[in-house]
Amino acid sequence: MLLDFILPAHDRKLIPEGRLSGPMPWVIAIMLFLTLLVAASGLALADAARKGGQDLARQATIQIIETDPAQRAAQRAAVSRALRGFDGVESVTPVADSEVRGLLEPWLGNGVIDVDVPVPALVDVRFTSAPTRQMLNDVQRSLRNVASDLRVDAHSSWMAPFFELMNALVWLAIMILFLLSVATAAVIVLAVRSTLNTHRGTIEIMHMMGGTDLQAARLFQRRVGLDALLGGVAGFILAAAVIITLGDRFAAVEPGLLSGVTFPVYGWAILALIPLAVVGLAMLMARFTVITALKKIL
Amino acid sequence: MQSVVEFDNVGLRYGTGAETLTDLSFTLFPGSFYFLTGASGAGKTSLLKLLYLAHRPSRGAIRMFGHDAITLSRERLPGFRRRIGVVFQDFRLVPHLSTFDNIALPLRIAGIQEKDLKGPVTEMLAWIGLSERSDARPATLSGGEQQRVAIARAVIGRPEMLVADEPTGNVDPEMARRLLHLFAALNKLGTTVVVATHDIHLLQEIDGAQMMRLDKGRLSDPTGSLRHPPRPLVLKN
Repeated sequence: MLLDFILPAHDRKLIPEGRLSGPMPWVIAIMLFLTLLVAASGLALADAARKGGQDLARQATIQIIETDPAQRAAQRAAVSRALRGFDGVESVTPVADSEVRGLLEPWLGNGVIDVDVPVPALVDVRFTSAPTRQMLNDVQRSLRNVASDLRVDAHSSWMAPFFELMNALVWLAIMILFLLSVATAAVIVLAVRSTLNTHRGTIEIMHMMGGTDLQAARLFQRRVGLDALLGGVAGFILAAAVIITLGDRFAAVEPGLLSGVTFPVYGWAILALIPLAVVGLAMLMARFTVITALKKIL
Repeated sequence: MQSVVEFDNVGLRYGTGAETLTDLSFTLFPGSFYFLTGASGAGKTSLLKLLYLAHRPSRGAIRMFGHDAITLSRERLPGFRRRIGVVFQDFRLVPHLSTFDNIALPLRIAGIQEKDLKGPVTEMLAWIGLSERSDARPATLSGGEQQRVAIARAVIGRPEMLVADEPTGNVDPEMARRLLHLFAALNKLGTTVVVATHDIHLLQEIDGAQMMRLDKGRLSDPTGSLRHPPRPLVLKN
């Protein structure tokens, strides 16, 4: 079908190709700009959710509740040793007391900690793959032989709502993409019908002289395809500029949740395919619309 | 003799209105020349539309070039239309194409290569006296010039049947005579010609031409020739 771009110059003259003179390239540029932004957001969120989810799902923190600091340190060391002996544990990192106090100070104030509030000892564990609930229960049961009062917190449990939100946003992006695709297709159909009405006389003459439906459809396909290509390139350039600029802004944000949102390299390949898909869609819609309309005349 | 067109009890109505054409039965033979006359609104243009396959009749049977034209599939219609040249009453030139491109249009639609169509189109332009205006758009041509272009476009492909609706309505008598002689020359080469006209004097221009007269959608046949093979054509000088 894309070969239908290649038409002899004299055939191309049958329907004037007033490039960028009509509204269609501009409408497609705007639709595609919005589509690409939504697609880029969806891709970035999906990538961040996937990476973050995979990473967090492998992590857990062991909390050891013990009021006596010496006992607490001994239990933390014992738990760390025991954890290193488990299958599927990649790394074990005991969290220093000072670091735990640093985490609590903003809420409880300096000096209160260790006097009035029993601060738990923490041990971070990273598994080679995301542990199952059963595996975490087994770890907790085994560690209770070393420290009687401890709890295993999987990071995925407290981050789950955040990633559910990200997944919801990804689905929202997919829905918006679908709606934009439908709207773009509708715009193309309207534009083709308008062009067909404008050139109905020429098409009828071609018909009366023995022109086939396909000959007429090819002319429209080419014109609509070129309009879509011009609009697509314009929309892509605008969207790429916005994505690159926003990417720089995200990269400048302090490390945290937002810093995980980066635009993946493979995303550019997907974005580049979207304008080509729109050109293909436009040509297909043009062919279908013209042939359907022509079948109504003898 | 194999007929070019056979109408058998053909009727045509638009929508739910009264019949525009009623009980038309006639045969057109190869190499014959017909004038179709009748008052305005008699149905001349409607009959021509049936002849150049722009409409299908509401009833009756039409055979064209030996095939049933009523049941002709949509895919086969273009092949049949390429065998028919049409001069429209309103010319119907493509407004954004030059004179040259308008005349070349049927050849290009038929897939003739550019190198093969330049000669015939240039020759045709010279014959209709518009060589100097080959790049002109229709809007810049006079009514008579547009009509000549429309005629050139209809005959350039050497059609087996030429259907012309008031082809001399906008040209001076001398040009009308020249155009008729072009039709006659084409007719001599075997093309069946059907010319719808109000101008009864044109009938005297071509010897052997036969007359079909339409009256309120019905065909009258004053010469009786439609029921018989035509006489050989003789051009008056």
